[in-house]
Amino acid sequence: MKLEERLRGVRRSPWVYHLNSGSCNACDIEILDALTPFFDAERFGVKLVASPRHADVVLFTGPVTREALPKVVKTLKAVPRPRIVVAIGSCAVGGGIWWNTYSTIGGFEKFQGVLKQQGVEIDKVVYVPGCPARPEAIIYGLLLALGYVKQKVSKVVKVVES
Amino acid sequence: MSMKDVVKEIEGKVVEFGGVVETITDTAVFVEIPKERVKEFAKWLYNAGAFLKTCAGVDERSINSRFAVYHIFGLDEKGIDVVLRISSLEGEALPSIASEVPAAEWCELEARDMLGLHILGHESKPRLVLPQDWPNAVYPLRKDVPYDYRPPSSVENFGKELPSEVGLPVGPYHPILHEPEYFELYVEGERVVDVFYRGFHVHRGIEKLAESPRFTYKTIPFLAERICGICGFVHSSCYVLTVERAAKIEVPERAQFIRSIVLEIERIHSHLLWLGVAAHILGYDAGFMHIWRIREPIMVLAELLTGSRKTYGINIVGGVRRDIDESKKKKALDVLRNVREEFKRFVEVFTSVPEIVKRATGTGVLPKDDARALSVVGPTARGSGLRRDVRKDYPYFAYRLASFKVPVYSEGDNLARLLVRVDEVFESISIVEQLLDALPRGSIAVESYEIPSFRKAVGAVEAPRGEDVHFIITGHGRPYRWRVRAPTYQNIPALKIMLRNTPLADAFLTIASIDPCFSCTDRAVVIRDVRSGFRRFASLFEGRRYANK
Repeated sequence: MKLEERLRGVRRSPWVYHLNSGSCNACDIEILDALTPFFDAERFGVKLVASPRHADVVLFTGPVTREALPKVVKTLKAVPRPRIVVAIGSCAVGGGIWWNTYSTIGGFEKFQGVLKQQGVEIDKVVYVPGCPARPEAIIYGLLLALGYVKQKVSKVVKVVES
Repeated sequence: MSMKDVVKEIEGKVVEFGGVVETITDTAVFVEIPKERVKEFAKWLYNAGAFLKTCAGVDERSINSRFAVYHIFGLDEKGIDVVLRISSLEGEALPSIASEVPAAEWCELEARDMLGLHILGHESKPRLVLPQDWPNAVYPLRKDVPYDYRPPSSVENFGKELPSEVGLPVGPYHPILHEPEYFELYVEGERVVDVFYRGFHVHRGIEKLAESPRFTYKTIPFLAERICGICGFVHSSCYVLTVERAAKIEVPERAQFIRSIVLEIERIHSHLLWLGVAAHILGYDAGFMHIWRIREPIMVLAELLTGSRKTYGINIVGGVRRDIDESKKKKALDVLRNVREEFKRFVEVFTSVPEIVKRATGTGVLPKDDARALSVVGPTARGSGLRRDVRKDYPYFAYRLASFKVPVYSEGDNLARLLVRVDEVFESISIVEQLLDALPRGSIAVESYEIPSFRKAVGAVEAPRGEDVHFIITGHGRPYRWRVRAPTYQNIPALKIMLRNTPLADAFLTIASIDPCFSCTDRAVVIRDVRSGFRRFASLFEGRRYANK
């Protein structure tokens, strides 16, 4: 089955699991904020669940610290397919301010290499930058992952030589 | 294939193994095999499609002075049972077939328990059938033990063989923890008897990073702010305070006021957040949702004053980057008035909901003496009767000019810590209002400054969770050493006292009651320090599983 078809199955009420891989808490409280009455992500059927085994979408924060690395791999392994990840915040997107420190591996992009080695496939990733990411951006990223809204920015990455 | 053919086949095999066969009923054959070869035969039978139905130990000493074990196999497809007998003299060992036929394990253990058979491979396994306090050398199914023999019962011995303590893992990913941390609670029944903590999952190498060429004095406040997403402004304030002390920089008064105002706004949002989390842990989700609704205007206010909802980034050495003008001041006062009203209404309900008050009263008690001995900080200290508040004890920024109370409760339980935070929200709102009213005119940052090398300074700022301490040795262009000690670091050891001998159900609220912020605690130390810190924690908590390593 194609990913789009499988996504249709979870679109009406996506259950989200919040996975902190060593973030500073700012994105994490903004995720909670997005789920509470003011931003009210529940109007899209979004529900926070306590176990990765129940998750349709993983809200991923943090630059992936070395200590958390094996545990994060294990947790993502427990998520059923299709595995959709919304990488939230500058740290998850590219390591943020910690992109080259000794005790992190520098964000989800690099983490995907580890996941590939471990045989954990990720079906779809949406990156939500921001330090911290705003609740509106988090909800937008989630809806983008589920195919409710169209991507506004180009998918082509341009690297500026410094 | 008729019964005869099947029997013939079995017979052929049995003779090969040196045993005998006998047809005992229309549907069953009896097989006796020398015990040395029983494993091979059982394996053959099992592979031929037989299921193990059960096995039975028999005391046949009055017939042939032997003990026997009958393994009963069923060839389902042919409708034939195969009864396989092995036997031994008293005291001799019998082989186990459990390695070939796993289903045999339980019934072999039962035969061992009930007849005292010595079955190889099962010696060290715990009792299966007999009660834990049954005497050792009495085997009820032996013919010489009367059916009504009742050994004296001793309740004390009961349960000795089972481990009385169970290690219950909490984390690293657990619904009550918003950060990856690992707790192991040792429970006896429903009571927690010990705690082990393995943290430092959020160790990102901040202190080392600040020494690297990537950062300078000017940019470190932005790094410091990212130590923690909840109380980050405390860290950047504490860093600039320490550097300013080391370099003897006079900061304009207006900047001092703005820093204090933003610090208090951060405290309000953090305490409201915590109250919501506490309500959520206690299963009062309506309260959780309401308090986060009440908190939202504070986030908007922070954005108005600093440009960011969180991680404000307005601190620089020598001042702040963003001013508060008259229109912002007016809006801020409006927001605070509304929040105070709504929060007051909420608190009235919150502190009268039985499930909150009953669960929080008398649980997670930290006596004053222990609080003193562990020198805990913040609401954890103030909930245990210690009047410790950096804002009063070591006044910094504009706190000298604000009048406020330091709420202290002497009970030391979860409710005391909860009420300290409730009171502090009102105090903080009042501080912000006072400081906004008295905001002096002037510049918001010094024009230039110089930071001499190898000066030392200590700075402390009252974070929502307690005293945050930074220590600096200045260097060229950046600190030579920058040490951060977050409040949670000081409070975690108190958990051991708070959790001991409390019911498991209260443990989660108690862990949350110190408002642990692990991203602060784990921030920075170099790996060497983490190892020694690990050992220190391990001995502190006597982590049983790790202590042996």
